[in-house]
Amino acid sequence: MTDYWLSKLFFDLQNDAKLAADYRADMPAVIGRYPINPELRTALFEDDVGKLAPEVNAYLLRFYFQVRGMPESEFIARLNAMNPADGNAMEKMPHG
Amino acid sequence: MASLVGVFAASHGPIIARDWDKMPREHRDKLEAAFDEIGRRLRACRPDILVVVSPDHWVNFFINNLPAVCIGIGDEHDGPPEPFMQKVYPHLLLKGHAAFGRHLLQTALDNEFEPALSHRLRLDHGTCIPLWRAAVSPELPLVPILVNDLEAPMPSIKRCLAWGRLLRRAIETYPEPLRVAVLGTGGLSHSIGEPTMGWIDEEFDHACIKQFENGEERQLDAFLTEALPRTGNGAQEMRDWVIAHAAAGSTGFELIDYFPSPATLVGAGFASWKLPAA
Repeated sequence: MTDYWLSKLFFDLQNDAKLAADYRADMPAVIGRYPINPELRTALFEDDVGKLAPEVNAYLLRFYFQVRGMPESEFIARLNAMNPADGNAMEKMPHG
Repeated sequence: MASLVGVFAASHGPIIARDWDKMPREHRDKLEAAFDEIGRRLRACRPDILVVVSPDHWVNFFINNLPAVCIGIGDEHDGPPEPFMQKVYPHLLLKGHAAFGRHLLQTALDNEFEPALSHRLRLDHGTCIPLWRAAVSPELPLVPILVNDLEAPMPSIKRCLAWGRLLRRAIETYPEPLRVAVLGTGGLSHSIGEPTMGWIDEEFDHACIKQFENGEERQLDAFLTEALPRTGNGAQEMRDWVIAHAAAGSTGFELIDYFPSPATLVGAGFASWKLPAA
């Protein structure tokens, strides 16, 4: 599945430096501009890589966590911790 | 008539730009040597235009409007928008070649291809890392071909082979005596933003290189169509190599270097094609 508005948020953050700065300063205000469902909003606030990963393009996901300031090593570790056998994580990924 | 004077392929990856100075020296030297060789060969063929076949990493297109293939037909394009690229490749504007871009577009339409067009593209790290590292002159006019390598469904390998042949036809029918080179960027295997991120699939990479060396289009198509879904998502960029391969006549592949590059998260590959004498 691809969540359109989550994807749109990530795309906008990649392409608008001011929005990315606003996001760092006031994350709830920026998220509030996008009709993202409550479950995914929670995942955003919790930096839940595993929850967000199946909902967006993998490259957008990578960029998003750079905006969040997550070290790439941690991002990779969180992705690698997704258990493909539990919920078939790879097959749920929309673009991998 | 224009002539095809060189065909090349090179990996890219944002870490090459972001962490170039922090990379282990030995590793950086290998990347540097390979990019230098691409640059040396490219300059030796004295191109008037460089057609760059690359993915768009979400800087021009989004999922509300995502072309399978887009041809840049402007007289100029924007340089890389990524801050990490602007530090190493600070070119706000890059020259295009509108006349050849339009000819390629018209040739496509005349042959039942329907690409998107853009009068001004933003050329991200996928295009600009090879240009930067291979020291390609920023004065060399570019004709970008952006291929959807990132978001399924993507163009089939069979269609990419057809695109390569079409590109060659467009070069051969361009009325001015321009020297045209082609550069495919991306690959080989890598895995980005998915549970296998960091995985470099050397088995895929070696098998893939063997297919390019063999050259035969149907076998290459069968191999990639079957193997791409089983490896990391970054290998989808091999479409750009496939287009370069078919533009070169699907023969004459010469590997310059391949090595797994965990520091940059890619199976780093560099190649050129030997072209038949005109």
